Amino acid sequence: MVTLNPTTHAYLDGQLLAFQPGDTILKFVDRHKGRGFVPTLCDAPQLDPYGACRVCSVEVALKEDGPRRVVASCHTPLSAGMHVHTQTQKVQKLRRNIVELVLTDHPLDCLTCEVNGNCELQTVAAKVGIRKVRYPEGKNHLNRQKDLSHPYMTSDLSKCINCSRCVRACDEVQGQFVLSMHGRGFDARIIKGFDTSFEDSECVSCGACSQACPTSAISDIFQSKAIVATEKTRTICTYCGVGCNLDVATKNNEVLSIQAPLDAEVNFAHTCLKGRYAFRFYNHPDRLRKPLIRTNGHFEEVTWEQAYAHIVENLTRIRAEYGPDSIAGISSARCTNEENYLMQKFIRAVIGTNNIDCCARVCHSPTAFGMQQSFGTGAATNSVEDLQHTQCILVIGANPTEGHPVTGAKIKQRAMKGVPLIVIDPREIEIVKYAKHHLQLRPGTNVALLNMFAYFILEGGMVDRDFVGSRCENWSEFEAGLRSLDLDQIEEVTGVPREKVRAAATEYAESPASMSFHGLGVTEHSMGAKTVMLIANLAMMTGNIGRPGVGVNPLRGQNNVQGAADMGCQPHQGAGYMRVNDPAMQRLYQDFYGMPVSGEIGLKIPEMFEAARNGRLKALWLMGEDVVQTDPNSEAVKESMNALDFLVVQEIFMTETAKFANVILPAASFLEKSGTFTNAERRVQRVNAAVPPLEGTKPDGQIICEIMQHMGYPQADYTADGVLEEISRVVPFFKGATWEGLGDNGKQWPVKEGNVGTPIMHLDSFKRGLGKFHFFAWQESQEVLEHGLEFPYILTTGRLLEHYNCGTMTRRTGNADIVVEDVVVINPADAAKKGVTGGDWVRLFSARGEVRLRSRISEEVKPGVIYTTFHFPEHLVNNITSDVHDSDTLCPEYKVVAIDFERVGSGDEPAGLPIREKGRAHTLPV
Amino acid sequence: MSLSVPADIEKEIDERITHYPVSRRSAVLPVLHILQRHFRFLSEDAVSWTAAKLGLEPIQVLEVVTFYPGFRQEAPGKVHIRVCRTLSCAMAGSYELLDNLCQAAGIDASRMGHHHPFAVSKDGRFSIEFVECLASCGSAPVCLVEDELHERVSPETAPDLLARYS
Repeated sequence: MVTLNPTTHAYLDGQLLAFQPGDTILKFVDRHKGRGFVPTLCDAPQLDPYGACRVCSVEVALKEDGPRRVVASCHTPLSAGMHVHTQTQKVQKLRRNIVELVLTDHPLDCLTCEVNGNCELQTVAAKVGIRKVRYPEGKNHLNRQKDLSHPYMTSDLSKCINCSRCVRACDEVQGQFVLSMHGRGFDARIIKGFDTSFEDSECVSCGACSQACPTSAISDIFQSKAIVATEKTRTICTYCGVGCNLDVATKNNEVLSIQAPLDAEVNFAHTCLKGRYAFRFYNHPDRLRKPLIRTNGHFEEVTWEQAYAHIVENLTRIRAEYGPDSIAGISSARCTNEENYLMQKFIRAVIGTNNIDCCARVCHSPTAFGMQQSFGTGAATNSVEDLQHTQCILVIGANPTEGHPVTGAKIKQRAMKGVPLIVIDPREIEIVKYAKHHLQLRPGTNVALLNMFAYFILEGGMVDRDFVGSRCENWSEFEAGLRSLDLDQIEEVTGVPREKVRAAATEYAESPASMSFHGLGVTEHSMGAKTVMLIANLAMMTGNIGRPGVGVNPLRGQNNVQGAADMGCQPHQGAGYMRVNDPAMQRLYQDFYGMPVSGEIGLKIPEMFEAARNGRLKALWLMGEDVVQTDPNSEAVKESMNALDFLVVQEIFMTETAKFANVILPAASFLEKSGTFTNAERRVQRVNAAVPPLEGTKPDGQIICEIMQHMGYPQADYTADGVLEEISRVVPFFKGATWEGLGDNGKQWPVKEGNVGTPIMHLDSFKRGLGKFHFFAWQESQEVLEHGLEFPYILTTGRLLEHYNCGTMTRRTGNADIVVEDVVVINPADAAKKGVTGGDWVRLFSARGEVRLRSRISEEVKPGVIYTTFHFPEHLVNNITSDVHDSDTLCPEYKVVAIDFERVGSGDEPAGLPIREKGRAHTLPV
Repeated sequence: MSLSVPADIEKEIDERITHYPVSRRSAVLPVLHILQRHFRFLSEDAVSWTAAKLGLEPIQVLEVVTFYPGFRQEAPGKVHIRVCRTLSCAMAGSYELLDNLCQAAGIDASRMGHHHPFAVSKDGRFSIEFVECLASCGSAPVCLVEDELHERVSPETAPDLLARYS
């Protein structure tokens, strides 16, 4: 028997029902009667209440027989004991009349409309019982031009009902402010920017407006709202570490469109143009469809059995001749947990070496290492949802609106609502506009700046002594280090005035809950891991750990880079982070795999390349990674590939690296496989195949299982739930995870028995017991010390919203029509010195090589700092990046390259580099 | 292209913004009024300038400008005349007054519309706008010439009225 509490219950059509604090009348009705019971046109669950259309009108009374008033239920707060009447004759008549008036202004061409059968206006009209419209036809706006200018977004504003959902989606969900209502009355219409087209506006093509639009007024080229797509599969995006849930619509085993589910905890009806629109790479003609073996210098198509036999023969020969440590594997953070687990198991248990690593090496290995040193666990302490609880946001070395667009949009929304935002970044990135503090430091001086930041917290008496005393250790060493700092020197090297740092530090330390996010601007440095430990220090010294709205939260780059490390794709730790050189752990793995495993720490990726060049490494197995294009100092990587005796590449496309292979195995993309991805907030989510693998290809997990079987290991055939079950038996923090139990929204690890997730870590104690402070004095990067005089400018690299790393996937989609090349960004003062004007060709040269790019002149970088992206590897930006690495983890220092530059020609000249025409970019030059 | 706002006007705007400490969006209307008073209409540059001034997106200002017919997006004539069209004035002859003023000024009244509520004479001297109530029903018909109110304006005297501002 439910206890009816008058303070938490209200009457819905005479029935007393519970509501939740903050409920509007409509939310209350939706919860109990289902969405659509009370119709609405302007309300959408992902948007704030608006109250424009009044279709959701209901009658309310404060007493059972008290006087009734008609109110719009979507924006009227519910109060206890209220009597809500949703079906009275009066409101039904009112709703019908409103919809009738809307229809007078709407073209009656449902039968030819793309959303026919899945149109909210149609549904609402049917629901309120409209049979015919009594009013004379109003203006129907059929003369409004369709906007088909954009590679993805479309609009046909004759279908618009002026509900403003699109405007609100753009403002409240994405925060881009591209759309608005122009004019009023019958002439009111949606505009983009200064009344321009999607193509010419500042639209970032996130598609939030298209998804929110109740009709087909704003849509996309995939016609995502069209009813023809009858099957939907919920899966996880393959791009960044946000881990957006996607609803993939398919028909006859073909992907038609992608939408963001409304009930996704991670992305709540939002995603970015990569997740929503950049999927057509999956059945691109360039996809590899047959195993290939190199014979006499060229590739020949073979059967899977022939390929496996060839591999077994060569790996067996090399292992016998040179020992298991002459073989190595590089796994992929784009693949599932199950595939990563199998890959490391194959290398460790079947080959018998710890030479296994993954691309986390070149991105967040310093985060994993650094946070393990400080806290004991190398993963985000909190959840992105905590942005709703935080009162100060610190973003260090991350450009979330481009790299992690959905999290970026959430940060932007919070900052716009007044939560103070501190940005530490050498560039004036988009979120700086919303920041209260921007510390624009010189690349390579993170440690110096964060030391000063910590110093001001100490000096201002803002240290949380209770937290430090009860939960941390080694404070006195850190304090002594801070007191020894030379602030004058730090000001000089960072280029940031100390008062700015003091103000930001005070903001961070004095807020009741401060949350930090960091990205590759922290890790891809020679002092990357040390910077991560400093960020952990800041959180510990201010007590910002173990509560909602606080913590240290790395924005992990790839969809499953967290998972790849969790599954043991690193040379020093196995699945679940147990140390391979600990004899007890070695025994544990040995017993579990039923095979002897090595107790020697294996090679990290850069060490593998070096070992290949000097002949110690003979064979390499690459799963889904294009090291030639993405690892620094490309020439050296190519040399390593050439030096190998035997190279196996599992890929979906013929990449630059694949061209060096002896055997290429055609793999399947994320849309064709099942498993789990772990996002940046440790959330293990289910990936479900939306379509079967393209003919001739196999999912990576299946390939690994089959090669293990061919090598004689009794590995069961690949199933997502089966491998997850195996993982849960060896990885302690997956103990309670089951395929069924993960549910639609996944669970954050540690997943305890009964599928109980952990949204916030380190509640009462750290994984390592006490949190440990570390002090490090800042040191100039070796790159600058060695080459700074000859090459006086600092090049730093980053990413764009539209492309993903070397563009293997995004450049085979419409995204390539939006951004067609990498450009180099130069401060006006530096440009003037070298006689460069915007659009000119510029030659950048470093101690290792040169690259030619078109220029853009902007004050977003300070004088002395040059910025570019590397999505277009044919420009070969990695020809000039350095071999300097993080001293703890060997993560390359992509963020600090000593260069010089000169103008080589005007923008009209081709300068010997093929720049593809817009609109023809879907096939890559190979 | 950017708007060149004289220092005294900008000072006035800065002071006015301080009246709206909670939300800068609230200051959009007063800022636009000051700019229109000075520039006589609101160009795209004025919209962008206002947005930058208040830390808003230009589109958040443009939507306000296009909503209110009182904000002009094109330059009016040297003398801008607003004729009341609401009930009392309409009954007392403001439609005839409008026609006569247009004829005398050489203005093509058919060019007035919902989104172009006023029209300008060929020589640019006059512009005429048919507006909602000017709050002087007892002395209908009325019109505003710039900021000067004229009451009980007999339609026949339209040419005389223009002559006084020539």
